[in-house]
Amino acid sequence: MSLILHNLQPLHWALAGVGIAGVTLALLFLANRRLGISTGLEDICSLVLPAPYFRRAAVLSGRGWRLPLLGGLVLGGFLSAVLSGGWEPTWAMGLFDRAIGLGPAGKLAWMFVGGLFIGFGTRLAGGCTSGHGIFGLANLEFPSLLSTVSFMAAGIATTQVVYRVLFPLGAP
Amino acid sequence: MTWLYLALGTVFGFILSRSGAADYGFIQGMFLFTEFQLYGIIAVAVMVTAPGIWLIKRRGRTFQGRPVSIELKPLHRGNIVGGALFGVGWSLAGMCPGPILVNIGEGKVYALAALAGALVGAGLLGSLYPVFQRPLGLPPLKVGTGEG
Repeated sequence: MSLILHNLQPLHWALAGVGIAGVTLALLFLANRRLGISTGLEDICSLVLPAPYFRRAAVLSGRGWRLPLLGGLVLGGFLSAVLSGGWEPTWAMGLFDRAIGLGPAGKLAWMFVGGLFIGFGTRLAGGCTSGHGIFGLANLEFPSLLSTVSFMAAGIATTQVVYRVLFPLGAP
Repeated sequence: MTWLYLALGTVFGFILSRSGAADYGFIQGMFLFTEFQLYGIIAVAVMVTAPGIWLIKRRGRTFQGRPVSIELKPLHRGNIVGGALFGVGWSLAGMCPGPILVNIGEGKVYALAALAGALVGAGLLGSLYPVFQRPLGLPPLKVGTGEG
């Protein structure tokens, strides 16, 4: 199986895993920060929303490091595209196009709904794949184990329903 | 330090982009049990990070000699309920929060809608926090659900 991005072959999983661990440990050892991306969503919200939740010290004090980290993620994706055949806007979604086949407007609606669940869910859970799944599990934190089991189970259930029941066409 | 965070984010984003972690098909393959890739990545990342954190905590000091401080996440029912809601979103969008940004960087236009949804979702949770606080046993507002 290849990536949607220029049909590239993916990095070996072990290499990618070691690389992610390296970034996580560098963040802790060099800067005393625990990896976590989803709080960055709150940091962005705090730029415009006045609710007391977004005026907490924990949110405001994290903006100085989380926002550059988030900017780096965009830049990393951009460089990845530039260095592998060029950057160009695309609507391609691979399996989704073959099995569900919605056009641009449908994709935007689908993605917005998915995003709602992601933003609300991660902030209710207190973390996402990085903060709970990588850092929390690696630091043997019980809340992270609960959250990781929950999001993996819900992800499996949802995809099974979407691609084995609702749109059962061509497994990847 | 800003440059360090930008650099680490860039490396992280590049790895997510090239590994399949920011790829709709690989995420569905993980949840369909037809692709091992993401399970391998997460397992290796956790198994290498765990002893690393242990060593850094045993050393007790960061590179610059400051005491290592890791804020632990609080335990509450939101861990499970929120986790389940996030799982639905991860499956639908084929992206978790980091890869949303990576996909935007790659030029995948639809990821902009995922980001918009995620910001509205986070905004709703934050704005309605007092409503969910009691039924879900969430920590005081000052503490929040956990950073990360």
